[in-house]
Amino acid sequence: MTNRLHRQGTHDGLSRDYVVFVTVARGINRTGSGPKSQRFLRLALDEGPVNIGVNGKNLITGGDPEQMLAGITDESHPSAVFSNLEAVRRLVGKLKEEDLGLSVTISALTDEVDSLLRSQGLVRHSIEHALGILGRTERLPTQQVLELTSMCGHGCVSHNHARKMIDWTKLGKLTPRQAAIYLARPCSCGVFNIDRGEELLTKARDMA
Amino acid sequence: MLIDKEKCVGCGNCVPICTMGVISVVNGTAQVNQDECVECNTCYRTLLNEGYNPTFVRAVRWLLKLFHVAYDAPPDLCPTGALTPPKLTWPRTLRAEFSDPNVKHPSTGGGGRGTEEIKTNDVTGRVREGKIGFAVELGRPGLGARFHDLQTVAMALAKAGVFFEPNNPVTHLMTDIKTGALREEVLNEKVMSAIIECRADAAQVPEILAALRRAAGEVKTVISAAIAARCGPDGSVPYLDMVREAGFTLSLNGKTNIGLGRPRFEERQQAAA
Repeated sequence: MTNRLHRQGTHDGLSRDYVVFVTVARGINRTGSGPKSQRFLRLALDEGPVNIGVNGKNLITGGDPEQMLAGITDESHPSAVFSNLEAVRRLVGKLKEEDLGLSVTISALTDEVDSLLRSQGLVRHSIEHALGILGRTERLPTQQVLELTSMCGHGCVSHNHARKMIDWTKLGKLTPRQAAIYLARPCSCGVFNIDRGEELLTKARDMA
Repeated sequence: MLIDKEKCVGCGNCVPICTMGVISVVNGTAQVNQDECVECNTCYRTLLNEGYNPTFVRAVRWLLKLFHVAYDAPPDLCPTGALTPPKLTWPRTLRAEFSDPNVKHPSTGGGGRGTEEIKTNDVTGRVREGKIGFAVELGRPGLGARFHDLQTVAMALAKAGVFFEPNNPVTHLMTDIKTGALREEVLNEKVMSAIIECRADAAQVPEILAALRRAAGEVKTVISAAIAARCGPDGSVPYLDMVREAGFTLSLNGKTNIGLGRPRFEERQQAAA
């Protein structure tokens, strides 16, 4: 899935947005991967992620992280979102040490990830970049809306929902944090960065 | 998605939640444009069912309106549980398979858009040195796409000489992987987005990017395209210059496979030899 690739934002905004997740290769290392995926998420939880995604639930909809952890199976591919580069650095160090054998992908600024990996004695194996948006771009909403909605890996946060939350924040009906949590709710894969959502909504409110 | 008109009180909470913007309140109840609905079930999953009696809710809403009292219900509720996911039949089942991240693709067994791309490249060796991978996603961000647009792009890429990833849900819908033509009965189905996944020799990149740009001018939606590669031993990215020369700008952010997967593709090759 390219779902975690197409997050929009400035270099500054994206510098507080890191998605780390594991993927099992069907037919190669999926069988028996459940306990390893659990261990990955345990290590990630120890570093204080702002959101996690397990089996279609996130921290807003899934409730207790320990229960989410316990529900991981060979079919799961958990993810964790961080707002803090140092937390990701520590996590990568632990993953290298534990050598779980799962493919780990980091979706973030590529220059930061490259430096981070080198600091942990690793070299990036493969990389994917977005080439921009082509086609009927005139049908798209504003960049302000896209920066919010593109944080959902599968496109489940609608542009209209983002517009409504921006409006409700400006009207004082919700705080930026409350609105960010409502925006995170539809995101099944749990990669919506609630901290970044709050930051973007605060900026939208203060632009008025 | 269906809405039970006996239960719906027209609160409108589902309207902005709809990923395609195809729910509206008409004559006091919500209705879904079934042709445009992609069966993502986001409305159903997101809006908590309060389970109230519709008559009670309508009475309360009538009283509030009578006294000009505004009330903003929390935006993640459906007061009466009026949303009703239908039982889908082929080819409409494709809509849910591609749009609801909790539904698996029967063809690949994966959820979401059903692709692994470079996320498991350390293990699969899907995109090796000298090759470049592409993930061409129609419909993202947030507009949706019909399969006839996917066919347009797939056929353009096929002419440019790409190899379509076999373990990909869109490839599974092709009648001919040499041409990129899709099964006729799916062409009008709409999905939140779908990814054409392919790869080619590095030398073909300029032609492929040019074909992609031309095809983008023929579709009614947007395309979020991506390029991927196995990095060099020093972590270098092989496609930087060729992308720039083709007039594209790479994103600041990207997905990096950090190479911890086992067994490594090279180990599997050696074991098989």
